[in-house]
Amino acid sequence: MGKIKVASQWLESCAGCHMSFLDIDEKIVELLKHVELSSTPITDLKHPPEEGVDVGILTGGIGNEEQEEEAKLMRERCKVLIAMGDCAVTGGICTMRNFFDLDEVLRRGYIETESTVDGEIPQHEDLTPLKEQVAGVGDVVDVDIYLPGCPPSAEAIWFVLSELLEGRMPKLEGDVLKYGMDGE
Amino acid sequence: MSEVQLTINGQPVAAQSGQTILEAAQAAGIDIPVLCYHPSLTAWGACRMCLLEVKGMRGLQTACTCPVADGMEIQTETEAAVEVRKFVLELLFSERNHYCMFCQLSGDCELQDAAYRYGLDHFTYPRPYQKLGVDASRKYFLMDQNRCILCTRCVRACAEVVANHTLNVRERGFESMITADLNVPFGDSSCVECGSCLQVCPTGALVDARSAYGGREKDVMHTETTCMQCSIGCTLDVVTRYDRLLRVDGVWEAEPSRGLLCVDGRFKPLYDDRKRITQPMIRRDGKLVETGWEEALDTAAAQLKAGDVQGLATCATSNEALTAFQTLFNKMDGEAGLLEPLAPDLDYGTKAKLEDILDADFIVVAGAKPLDYQRVAGYFIYRAGDQGAKVAVISDSETEMSARADMTVSYADADQVVQAAAGAQKIVLIYSIGIKGKVLTAFRQLSEQLFYLALSPGRNEQGARAVGLQPLALNRAATRFFLLSEQSEQPALLDKLNRAFTIVQASYLSPLVEQADVVLPAPLWYERTGHVTSIEGTIKPLVEVLPKPEGVRDDAEILTALADLL
Repeated sequence: MGKIKVASQWLESCAGCHMSFLDIDEKIVELLKHVELSSTPITDLKHPPEEGVDVGILTGGIGNEEQEEEAKLMRERCKVLIAMGDCAVTGGICTMRNFFDLDEVLRRGYIETESTVDGEIPQHEDLTPLKEQVAGVGDVVDVDIYLPGCPPSAEAIWFVLSELLEGRMPKLEGDVLKYGMDGE
Repeated sequence: MSEVQLTINGQPVAAQSGQTILEAAQAAGIDIPVLCYHPSLTAWGACRMCLLEVKGMRGLQTACTCPVADGMEIQTETEAAVEVRKFVLELLFSERNHYCMFCQLSGDCELQDAAYRYGLDHFTYPRPYQKLGVDASRKYFLMDQNRCILCTRCVRACAEVVANHTLNVRERGFESMITADLNVPFGDSSCVECGSCLQVCPTGALVDARSAYGGREKDVMHTETTCMQCSIGCTLDVVTRYDRLLRVDGVWEAEPSRGLLCVDGRFKPLYDDRKRITQPMIRRDGKLVETGWEEALDTAAAQLKAGDVQGLATCATSNEALTAFQTLFNKMDGEAGLLEPLAPDLDYGTKAKLEDILDADFIVVAGAKPLDYQRVAGYFIYRAGDQGAKVAVISDSETEMSARADMTVSYADADQVVQAAAGAQKIVLIYSIGIKGKVLTAFRQLSEQLFYLALSPGRNEQGARAVGLQPLALNRAATRFFLLSEQSEQPALLDKLNRAFTIVQASYLSPLVEQADVVLPAPLWYERTGHVTSIEGTIKPLVEVLPKPEGVRDDAEILTALADLL
């Protein structure tokens, strides 16, 4: 079995899903025998290579236009796309802002918070525009595997990757299918 | 009822006619998913989770409402049934805020469990992100409409378990919303905060303010004990974690109230912020100071030996403590009795169980305020009234029960009630210390069909009666008093006791404790061990839910130690 190429990217996310991935502990050594890590938030390569990867992993929701572009790029350049963690699966905790108007959210965040003095809403041509609502990855591109959890447990992540290594599409059930922090 | 034979998933199952498919399946150990169904409530068939296939019947059937019939061939997990259940779940998850990661019920949620069961790994449909209200206008629990799936378990619990009819559904379809009365905040509504709705809610829509986020089912301990907030004696399921009280639930199978609790039993005791006594105290140079048990008991015993002591108990303690109290005073030939009055037993009729209220066709409430003092009995009367029983109140002043009664008369017109009850098959007479002899005499002629339930103010009054303790007037001439589990703050009593030497065995600081000469710290309701006798005369266990603080001793143990010193 040759090595399969894996790329990952985090979008609107807290990094917890990548931390949970590192929680697979010593199994990462086993994993690296079979997997070549390409672009990830923790390696130098920032985007998946043009020639593509076998497995793309996206964590986080789609909250701005850049994240949408990143999601589309990963979809183009990977064969199997995993939406990992509740934010990638449903928009997750980031969707709490969907219950308010975007203006209200920005005003609250940058001006009205109790700790803010003379705040202003940042505006610059380099800043990517926010989406009106935060969405899951599946709302902007086709997703092959949904792996919910906040974060998904290391066991669940290992299960999905090891199934793929065995050439099977993982079917999540039992202890590896958990929402929120229920996997704790 | 006759036995019928059917098959479920090919397995032969014997059931009783009149059972539903769900009941038959559950009895046979076959699991069918449910959301709106609850075994203590009327089956509703609303959520469509239990849809399944019955050979020869058109479409899918709801297992919770479809009665069994002989020869039925049932399949619970066919492709069509599973597909429909998934579809229902996908719709439920799309409608409101069912993001588990910030829900207090995650891990214990029935909606979540159903989604796990059918492998839902993402939302299929767009979410509308409606911002619905969270009603926190009640002290003890909140209603978060965003988490509600409109299963109406709460509505049915409110109507059937407590029969208070506060909750209902307003609007239709997508606009449907659980509402209190005519859409007022829950805190301003007719809600009596019994918490029955909270206990049956399958999702995080009803949120207990104290236990939310305090621990999931796998983290907590459950201990069953008996409520001592009134004389009824309901069974409590006390939920704790890390030696902290989290929540109290009712126990559906347990007599006398079968799951129903009231605000006094379920919520209030968890919010008691009176200051606790955790060390024995004696009065030294006019000041109450903490001391060890030896000195406290020796001081108390010396006073008891000197004689001229009157012992007065409130019944808020275990049978064992009341027995030890009686034994202590027998040993020193002293006078002991109860501070609280007892409602007299009748010398005719049959003593009622709480459930007798439910199948009575005529209920008389005389000189009692069950909705204030023994609320569960009051709610049982509501339930009986809903089922068609006539309810008559005899009282010289308007009581809350009158609003739901068929007639309210003054004592002068009590005969009208006797006449109205004359044709009834089963009469339950519910009374307390306010009842007048005239009424007791008037009902004697109906003694054959009459059941009586005496609601005395003492909490373990049945236990006190059993050891022969009777109400006792304060003896002004006595120079020493022993007060057991006294929490009374009656100024007149305090004034009378102030001039005597008083030994108080109690749990909380109170004006009485502050003027005592010896204070013996006793356990709280959730630290007690022993037994209590329910209103029905059943001896029920008091189980230590959490350990007593160091320095506090068991009630009976204190009294026995004192007797040994005499």
